[in-house]
Amino acid sequence: MSSREIGASNDALLQLSELDTFYGPSQVHFGMSLHVRRGEIVCLLGGNASGKSTTMKVILGLVKPRTGEIHFDGHDLRPLSTPQIVRLGIGSVPEARRIFGAMTVRENLLMGAYTRRDRAAVAEDYERVLEIFPRLRERLQQRGGVLSGGEQQMLAMARALMGRPRMICMDEPTMGLSPLFVDKVLDLIQTINAQGITVLMVEQSANLALQIADRGYVLQNGCIVVEGDARDLLLSSDIQEAYLGGQEYVI
Amino acid sequence: MDPTLRTFIDQTINGLAIGNVYALTAVGLALIFGVANLINFAHGSVYMIGAYVGWVCVTWLGWPLPASFAAVAVVCGALGVALERFGLQGLHRKARIAPLLATIGISFALDQATQLLFTANPQSFPNPLPAERIALGGVSIGAIDVLIAVVGVSTAGILFGFLRFTQLGWALRATAQDRDAAQQMGVDVEGVNRATFGIAGVLGGLAGALVGLYFATVYPTMSFQAGIKGFAANLLGGLGNVPGSIVGGVVLGLVESYGVAAFGATYRNLFAFAILIGVLVVRPAGLFSRRRTLPPEPMTGTFVPNSRPVRVPRAVVIGGIAVALCFPVLVSDPYLLQILTNAWLLAMVALSLTLVTGTAGQSSLGQAGFMAIGAYASALLSLRAGLPFEIALIAGSLIAAVLGTLLVLPAFRLRAHYVAIATLGIGEMVNQVIANWDGLTNGVLGLTNIPPPSLFGIEMVTPRATYWYSLALLLLAALLQLRLLRSHLGRTWRAIREDDVAAQSAGVGLNRYKALAFAVSAGMAGMAGAFSGHMYSYINHETFASSTSILALTMAILGGMGNMVGAVVGAVLLTALPEVFRGLVDYRYLVYGVVLLLLVRFRPQGLLGTV
Repeated sequence: MSSREIGASNDALLQLSELDTFYGPSQVHFGMSLHVRRGEIVCLLGGNASGKSTTMKVILGLVKPRTGEIHFDGHDLRPLSTPQIVRLGIGSVPEARRIFGAMTVRENLLMGAYTRRDRAAVAEDYERVLEIFPRLRERLQQRGGVLSGGEQQMLAMARALMGRPRMICMDEPTMGLSPLFVDKVLDLIQTINAQGITVLMVEQSANLALQIADRGYVLQNGCIVVEGDARDLLLSSDIQEAYLGGQEYVI
Repeated sequence: MDPTLRTFIDQTINGLAIGNVYALTAVGLALIFGVANLINFAHGSVYMIGAYVGWVCVTWLGWPLPASFAAVAVVCGALGVALERFGLQGLHRKARIAPLLATIGISFALDQATQLLFTANPQSFPNPLPAERIALGGVSIGAIDVLIAVVGVSTAGILFGFLRFTQLGWALRATAQDRDAAQQMGVDVEGVNRATFGIAGVLGGLAGALVGLYFATVYPTMSFQAGIKGFAANLLGGLGNVPGSIVGGVVLGLVESYGVAAFGATYRNLFAFAILIGVLVVRPAGLFSRRRTLPPEPMTGTFVPNSRPVRVPRAVVIGGIAVALCFPVLVSDPYLLQILTNAWLLAMVALSLTLVTGTAGQSSLGQAGFMAIGAYASALLSLRAGLPFEIALIAGSLIAAVLGTLLVLPAFRLRAHYVAIATLGIGEMVNQVIANWDGLTNGVLGLTNIPPPSLFGIEMVTPRATYWYSLALLLLAALLQLRLLRSHLGRTWRAIREDDVAAQSAGVGLNRYKALAFAVSAGMAGMAGAFSGHMYSYINHETFASSTSILALTMAILGGMGNMVGAVVGAVLLTALPEVFRGLVDYRYLVYGVVLLLLVRFRPQGLLGTV
């Protein structure tokens, strides 16, 4: 669990207000609101089909809400395309990693810096990222597709870092990983956060995610039903029972 | 040197030269398939326009070759970009098959526009290169061979460097692998899309200009063959696989060259179709993939976007039939009757297509092949065996049903638009076999003096008689189809169309039902072909070209896929429209192409809606 004070900074970096999102005729978000403050790790929890991944897609501009507002650092994100949003400083670790399987690890990393023109700084970041992820250094010339699931997850995170984002959106970063790698990934998320990068992560394995988060939201059927301090969510047995599947599911 | 060896080396050089050109074409298709997930039917037209631009620059403007090639690259690159920008942009959010249909429409329009500008006649493209050949130990190489090799190898090198070392090249590869993920890296995928079409246009145009030079001739219909060959080469190397496409192109070139040497020049085009179908059936993922299955469906689903069909009251349908039946009593203009007779025959083809594609979901672009089988079977039975017309017609239709089904049988394991490609190839192959099987079909000379349609020994030669005869056949076919659609069979077909996996798990034997759909469809198309043959009294291997298949498709889409009334309405509209506006007759295929483009964009469910 992060040791920093909750609410140390009041100004939200990302603010979603009253979102209504639709896929064709079916509504996914019903007046959904949440915010992420600078420097926080915020965890968005919820079961299948609760609208978590859609929230990520809305932030990245891959899906546009019908009504509601999205602001990132003073910019209205709704009229912007995904590449424009990425340029504002939102990095992404997509669901199921989505690394470029036929490109080498090195090429994958440099794709992460696609929007940047400051070559010298990119080269610095490349070294810095490889310091954080030494496993990748051994595999630089291998194709991304041959890495193990855990290594691919690291590659996806490293790739997101290469864009020097101010905030990273992670969609189920621990999905399908072995318990060993889950712990490692959670450690790495804290490391990234310690470098001043805000993290918004979607998770299904609630208890693990809440251990490193500052705050958490529980999304159910497209509405935020609970929000609060991560420690409170973790300790409140009512909430555990009602929304997060209870303690017995903790690995 | 041993003369056999020398010939062999000569053939190899020819094969390599032509294979290089196929490789250039295939690489463009592979790039587009990779990035846009689309089989670009208009690629052949870009290639053909490249050939024409080269020809204009060299013969009209007298430009030197390098300048001409630069012009080809610029024009065709711009054409590729324009094609994406104006023809395809925004379509990927519509029905999945929409972009593919749009490229078919664009290729119709481009081909006809070229034909209007430069006539349909082949134009001679004299080769400005020095005529002397380089002798190498008894084998000689022409300057054109060297030029093709240089252009081929250097473009491949430039492309490799571009994909490996440039920012846009990386973006292109990333987009091809994962469009969404590339977007999340900040890649402007729309821009990449456009750039890809531009690059493919440059490559296709250069290939066309080189082929024009190589064979010293350019003509508008070269586009279709080029498209199919590029696609065959691409498929051979693996769809979307750039290095694979290069190898595929060279292999196809060599096979063609050796094949022509062994069997004769008329067989040239057969090999591409044989390879196309063979690869689809045996190794659909291409030579170099370890997988034995196709890459994920570029477009699952079928031609059928969901919609609510327009309810046509029964009285209107019956009234329409009555008007059609009485029409010759009121109007005696033989020209008009002839046009409507054609409309009825094409309506039969459109009905047959709407059955197999609309109802059963098996996108067929091979209806013309079935027509050709029916026409030849019926004509030969009455010419050689002296059978009366009615018997020959029915026999021709049955033969088309059986033979057609057997031909498409290997394609049953394919889905969605791979079926479309396979059936297109099968349709073309039928025509190629007809052109080459001299003993049975009289080869390219065709069959003449086919007896006219008759009924109980009475010849039906007046426009009125053929009108009524064809209309009666159409109504019979429609009744049969209606009966089938309302039976258990119709339901099963629709189930296969909606979800073949679910249908299979409900115990439906897919192959049996697909075979039945194709049999009925091929039988109907065969009957239309047979009647046309007797009506024209002359047919050859070009009478039922693939453009007829695509025309039938346009008609069925115009009416609404799976919609029987729609198919007939579509056929009448598309046959009659160019005639009503007399000025449009010369622009027919341009009209068809534009109709297809507009439909796909603004009303993909057709006029009357899909069923």
